[in-house]
Amino acid sequence: MSALGHYLEEEGIPTVAISLIRAQTEKTKPPRALWVPFELGRPLGPPSDPVFQKRVILAALRLLEREHGPVIIEDFPEDDPRERPDLSWRAPLAKHDLDDGSATRLAAALEDESAWIEAAYRRAAVDRGRTIVGLSGLSVGEAGRYMAAWLRGQTPESPSAEMSAVLTLRFAVDDLKAAYIEVALSGSARPSSKQLGDWFWNDTAAGTATFALRSMYLTSEDERLKAIAGLFLVPGVRATQRG
Amino acid sequence: MARLTDLPPAQAKRYAELECPSFATTPWVNGPPLAERRVAIVSSAGLVVRGEKPFRGRDADYRVIPSETRPDQLMFSHISINLDRSGFQEDWNVVFPLDRLRELAAEGVIGSVAATHYSFMGATDPVQMEGYARDVASRLKGDGVDAVLLSPV
Repeated sequence: MSALGHYLEEEGIPTVAISLIRAQTEKTKPPRALWVPFELGRPLGPPSDPVFQKRVILAALRLLEREHGPVIIEDFPEDDPRERPDLSWRAPLAKHDLDDGSATRLAAALEDESAWIEAAYRRAAVDRGRTIVGLSGLSVGEAGRYMAAWLRGQTPESPSAEMSAVLTLRFAVDDLKAAYIEVALSGSARPSSKQLGDWFWNDTAAGTATFALRSMYLTSEDERLKAIAGLFLVPGVRATQRG
Repeated sequence: MARLTDLPPAQAKRYAELECPSFATTPWVNGPPLAERRVAIVSSAGLVVRGEKPFRGRDADYRVIPSETRPDQLMFSHISINLDRSGFQEDWNVVFPLDRLRELAAEGVIGSVAATHYSFMGATDPVQMEGYARDVASRLKGDGVDAVLLSPV
């Protein structure tokens, strides 16, 4: 991000970067940057809090009015209030009680659960007027079935000529997870990302199935599949916790 | 949370030691007061308007996001799974603060909002992006933009 600032400024366009990782910004030395103490993925901080977001964006844009530089790196002083859990939030599904010992049972549980989620997801998408599901080209139920096929040791054909089966698996996991999170966000409660992640990764068949896919294909002879399994299915922090 | 001390040690080490480009020059361009500036967002979140090609791997090119894009049209195809997407799912302004820019323009705090915004894939080696970044600069100039908010993830 900071490097882009360098290139744009060289071309004559004033820039200010929001920085999430101060150490990287200090190395790249963009003309102006505002470091924010927020979670990766949330450069403006708390969702659904326009007043807070405006303080962040203004703190950044005001750096454009400084007459002297470069390099300016300032720190935003407030933490994200949405990192605190919302105790009124309730998980949309009861905790599933499968261990991940049997891939076949897990595949069936994933298909059942994702069929339920698909119905809830469709209602949530209408209520919320928005969804980010759609990278794989599969419906939510199809994404669940696509993952289940891989769990059974099959290599299902990609629905798109432009996308390999392995890439489709990665995007199917992204889409299915996104659908679960949108269902979990559909009420009036405002859960933290940790609450949502704990629920998805610890309590759902989809989370358990994703861990199982990672384990199954981590030793694959197909280098692309091995890379997808190791790096692009389960976040590092969750993989470390599970061991 | 994005303090390195709050991240798992292996992830913190990776981010702290990540090779970043260093530049021989330190460019700096002044401009008019904020109230007269035309502001664009350049994101590195791998954002893509629905129907366009998602970013794959470490693509170095960029996607165009017209200002009339609606929240339900914008998708997130960043390669990393180690960053939160739920904030963007709840409120796109967390990553792409177009509504906030419009409000600031309506309040007269900034001059105007650009007609077009841009997105890159932040995990790509920035050196590979240079030509594309310069191309974006040319398009921004064509739109009269004189302030860019660079928004990472």
